[in-house]
Amino acid sequence: MSGLSLDALRDCLEGAIPALVATCSADGTPNVSYVSQVHYVDGEHVALSFQFFNKTRHNVLENPHATLLVANPATAALYRFAVEYLRTETGGPLFEGMKAKLAGIASHTGMAGVFHLKGADVYRVRSIERVAGSVCHAPLPHRNLLAAVRRAGPALASARDLGALFEQALDALERDFGVRHAMILIADESGESLYTVASRGYPQSGIGSEIRCGDGVIGVAARERAAIRINHSTAEYCYGRALRESASQSGDDVLPTEIPFPGLAAPGSQLAVPIVHGARLAGVLFVEDPEAGRFNYDDEDALAALAAQLAAGIQLLQGAETDEDGGSAKDTALTPRGRALVIRRYAANDSVFLDDDYLIKGVAGAIFWKLVGDHVREGRSEFTNRELRLDPAIRLPALSENLEARLILLERRLAERGGDVRIEKTGRGRFRLLVRRPLELAEVPAAH
Amino acid sequence: MPTGPVLDADNAAFVTSGVSIAVASRNAQRIPSLTRAWGCRVSGDRRTVTLYVSPQQGEALLADLQAGGPLAAVFSLPSTHRTIQLKARSARVGALADEDRLVIERYAPALAANLERVGHGGGFAAAYLEIAGNALASVAFEPEEAFAQTPGPKAGARLERPA
Repeated sequence: MSGLSLDALRDCLEGAIPALVATCSADGTPNVSYVSQVHYVDGEHVALSFQFFNKTRHNVLENPHATLLVANPATAALYRFAVEYLRTETGGPLFEGMKAKLAGIASHTGMAGVFHLKGADVYRVRSIERVAGSVCHAPLPHRNLLAAVRRAGPALASARDLGALFEQALDALERDFGVRHAMILIADESGESLYTVASRGYPQSGIGSEIRCGDGVIGVAARERAAIRINHSTAEYCYGRALRESASQSGDDVLPTEIPFPGLAAPGSQLAVPIVHGARLAGVLFVEDPEAGRFNYDDEDALAALAAQLAAGIQLLQGAETDEDGGSAKDTALTPRGRALVIRRYAANDSVFLDDDYLIKGVAGAIFWKLVGDHVREGRSEFTNRELRLDPAIRLPALSENLEARLILLERRLAERGGDVRIEKTGRGRFRLLVRRPLELAEVPAAH
Repeated sequence: MPTGPVLDADNAAFVTSGVSIAVASRNAQRIPSLTRAWGCRVSGDRRTVTLYVSPQQGEALLADLQAGGPLAAVFSLPSTHRTIQLKARSARVGALADEDRLVIERYAPALAANLERVGHGGGFAAAYLEIAGNALASVAFEPEEAFAQTPGPKAGARLERPA
């Protein structure tokens, strides 16, 4: 490849200015066409959106040589790429990333319902040439993302527990990356859904809200283990509709157990990056902005670096909570008073209500039910993470690494539900149940 | 049997209306050449189309055409995506005539106005439409085929010669 590197030209590959592609059939007839999306794959490859069976596609199957012309949307600088067709992908991370991005481009250009990705045509970039021509002055970037990543590193490394790690990550996003709306979601044991454990920049925290794998940018990022980024609002990846549908499907006799997803009603830009440790999906880091085109390839890389640190931190800190230390054994300082708080648990899905307010369900619901049960029956207030792991009633899958994330979820939901019952950490692997009102437990057995 | 021109009056008006234009050819190894063009003129009988290419930008394309290579040209209006492609067996590269200069002068402001409508006006449009090297060559050809390329199910359809 020549002196120009593809990595440095990624701003030309955002789809802001349609690219041109010239191809040539076996019999020597040239063809020239606009292409909605030239997608950056890596330092040596691009992928073109294959939407219609057209002459371009016909030609590259016969003769792989093609020439691209792309423009930088900020400076108007033109570049010519000599490329060679390699293959077409019809599923997987590259395809899903392009599909999501194309949905944004389609909605932005009035082509929703017309643009539809059939495949990602992968090309090797043989050479890049700067085409002679005038350029205009591009505005300076608002921030240096490498500096942001560097500053975030020590901050995340300083976290002593999982809750602090999440807060450090959200602080760094706000302070160093200029991101005002962000959330961290953790994958549940089934691998079918994710739940929000921390968020920043929303009127309601949405902690405990769930996203199914495959739903919207977050769900697709989780399923494909790939960064998914959309630069324009698009109905196809909108959460509002999916959530309303799932809400209307819940039966009449079942109390609502949906915590509303906190996301922006009309996001202009969305970016979801998987938090992956080895082959395992730990969760998703999600950021969004009302403005279109807020995140580019560099933001994607910077967030991926932050997500990698989060993954390492989650792994480290989850392990650390298996052993206990410190932990003052002094009795709870609070004396419950006032009207009894009715805690109702539905055995069918471990959903728990405080009086009539939904608190949590699933594993976190089972944990809470054990804590309040032990408290009411045995007067206990001090607990360890280890005993929760070993308790068969909680039904934690073997070797689950998610206990600590569930405790954070439970702690934050309780704090948001008024604080009559709370949990707080008292040391590594230890925590305390704090009860301000007398508790009354009511169990609703599963119907048979 | 004599046949009518490939371009009907409507498409002739379209390609000369300040749309975005690009031209392609290929060399003996069938490697495509590709560059932008600055405006388009259609002869009175609609049988000859002339485009304007910067030699500084389109060296390979002009060389391929001068070697007798075939031509493909695409015309698109950014605000509506209306797009057509013309193809010819060969093209003639030449110097500008007076009537060409008039077409070129009108071209940039017309396309700039449309780019403005899709959010790429201002400094971008000014730089994008400034003629590279401040010199243009003419590329004249007789289109033999025309294709609709507006995105959608009819993209790629051949435009039949008007009766």
